[in-house]
Amino acid sequence: MTNQAAPRRAKLELLVRKPADDGETFEVREVGSAVAFVQLRPQRVEPETYEISEVSSRVSGERSFILKNRQTERYLLLSDAERFLWEQMDGSTSLQDLATAYVLRYGEFNFEIIPTLIRKLQRAQLLVLVPASRVRKALARNRGALVIKAIESTLLVLERVNISSRSVDAFFRRLYRWGGFLIFTRGAVAACVFLTVLGALAAHHLWNHAEQVAAGLGKSPVLALVAVKLLFLFTVAAHQLVHGLALVHYGRRVREFGFTFLHGFVPTFYVDVTDVFMTSQRARVVTAVSGALVHLVLGALWFLVAMQAPPGLLQGFAAASGMIQWQALVIALYPFCFIEMDGYHVLVDVLGVPTLKSDATGYVAALARGRAGLPASREEWLWIGYVVLSVVSIAAFISFNVWLILHAS
Amino acid sequence: MASPDVADFLQDVRLFQGFSDGDRAAVARALREKTVRKGHILMREGDDGDEMFIVRRGALVVSKAVTGPVEQVLARMGPGDFVGEMALFDREPRSATIQADSASDASLLVLDRGSLEALMEANPRAAASFFRNLVQVFIERMRASTNLIAEVTRWGLEATGLDVENR
Repeated sequence: MTNQAAPRRAKLELLVRKPADDGETFEVREVGSAVAFVQLRPQRVEPETYEISEVSSRVSGERSFILKNRQTERYLLLSDAERFLWEQMDGSTSLQDLATAYVLRYGEFNFEIIPTLIRKLQRAQLLVLVPASRVRKALARNRGALVIKAIESTLLVLERVNISSRSVDAFFRRLYRWGGFLIFTRGAVAACVFLTVLGALAAHHLWNHAEQVAAGLGKSPVLALVAVKLLFLFTVAAHQLVHGLALVHYGRRVREFGFTFLHGFVPTFYVDVTDVFMTSQRARVVTAVSGALVHLVLGALWFLVAMQAPPGLLQGFAAASGMIQWQALVIALYPFCFIEMDGYHVLVDVLGVPTLKSDATGYVAALARGRAGLPASREEWLWIGYVVLSVVSIAAFISFNVWLILHAS
Repeated sequence: MASPDVADFLQDVRLFQGFSDGDRAAVARALREKTVRKGHILMREGDDGDEMFIVRRGALVVSKAVTGPVEQVLARMGPGDFVGEMALFDREPRSATIQADSASDASLLVLDRGSLEALMEANPRAAASFFRNLVQVFIERMRASTNLIAEVTRWGLEATGLDVENR
């Protein structure tokens, strides 16, 4: 008998050439098959190629669907869950997104259903697999422009930065035992409310002395704001730690904690809380919201510090930090900003529309190109509402920050 | 011409195992040194060539074009390894692109076709050792290539989720 080791995940080592000042340079990248797999974007065949009909069982009452490939005359029997996944396979949703959508919809994990369905659809020639991300495709198409090339190169370098550990569950459990549990007590909630009220009063007081506070930032308000933002980065770690503690509070496992560049350019800490989908909706909401409340508390504390501090740099710095923290709270909890932050996850969880952003942007883009009809259903109005609110919110947020900088100047 | 300590270095090069000190000294005299700056290309796939290169210091990355600016890394060569010998024998264009690793400059010893043929002609016993060593290295590389093909195929299957078993 031979002892065969478990097969490791296959990796490809690729060399990518890039122009450089003195001619050419290159970079070697390892691309794991598992990474490539979760980034696949399955696309169902054109609508005229298939038809689908519902079959309800009179005995069990369960719904099933018959999917027919009109060209090959092959029929597939799909369950309700499989049909849900089939509908998501629009070429823009990755397997990772599909898994998330599935979990949000059905509240459970089923690691096998997606690959099994894909194999089934492939055999029936109902699926096309699209491997590359749309952003990357767009950048690659315009690589001729120097700026685009620089952006692409920078993204490539940054997105490879990932410092993380998968052995963090024990750490989070210790942290919870050593005092982390206090965050989830009524006392902590009361303290949070109390601090918020004090912080709001302090912010109001500072607002009345805005010019004095802004003057405290000195002659380099932009530089000061950058420093505040850098300090803020570390509070993101606290935000993620609290998410992890919430997970422990609900008896689930923290799978990973680390640092990376979100979308290739936003430095951030992250915690893998996917195990929270095994619990109740309340647990999911608490886990999502509790992390964001870190910014509420820190913001209030900074405002209190600013109020107590004498006019000058410390006061300006503290006030700016408080403002950034409360802005972060809004961004984290406000669901209408095209960013899938905590508030967005709560919203889609409550609405039961896991692919809201993708559906909404897809519909509005089609509408703008004249490829979709005017909104008629509630779902289409929801999509319109999401996009309009998000655009207005982002414009308002940018305007507010520009105004702040100009005001400070 | 290469520096005097090259003959000592050749003791550790598999290609020259079984050579007498005199044979190695003769090879060392026929070699010349070349440095490739880190990240720079030594040869491109499709180039003509009549030289082989023995890595003395640093590392080389051997790659083959796949699509656009993307190439598949076939192998990495370190001190004692050699590259470029295929074109020396079959007179075909270079089959792969070879560049110095981006971490450090690569110091190479160059043996051209004329020098090799002269050496082999002058010393048939050393020539026999040379070709025996060469065949052994080729066998290892062929095994590595078949393993790489299997690995790439496995990657493709895993990355696409292609169901071959039940297809």
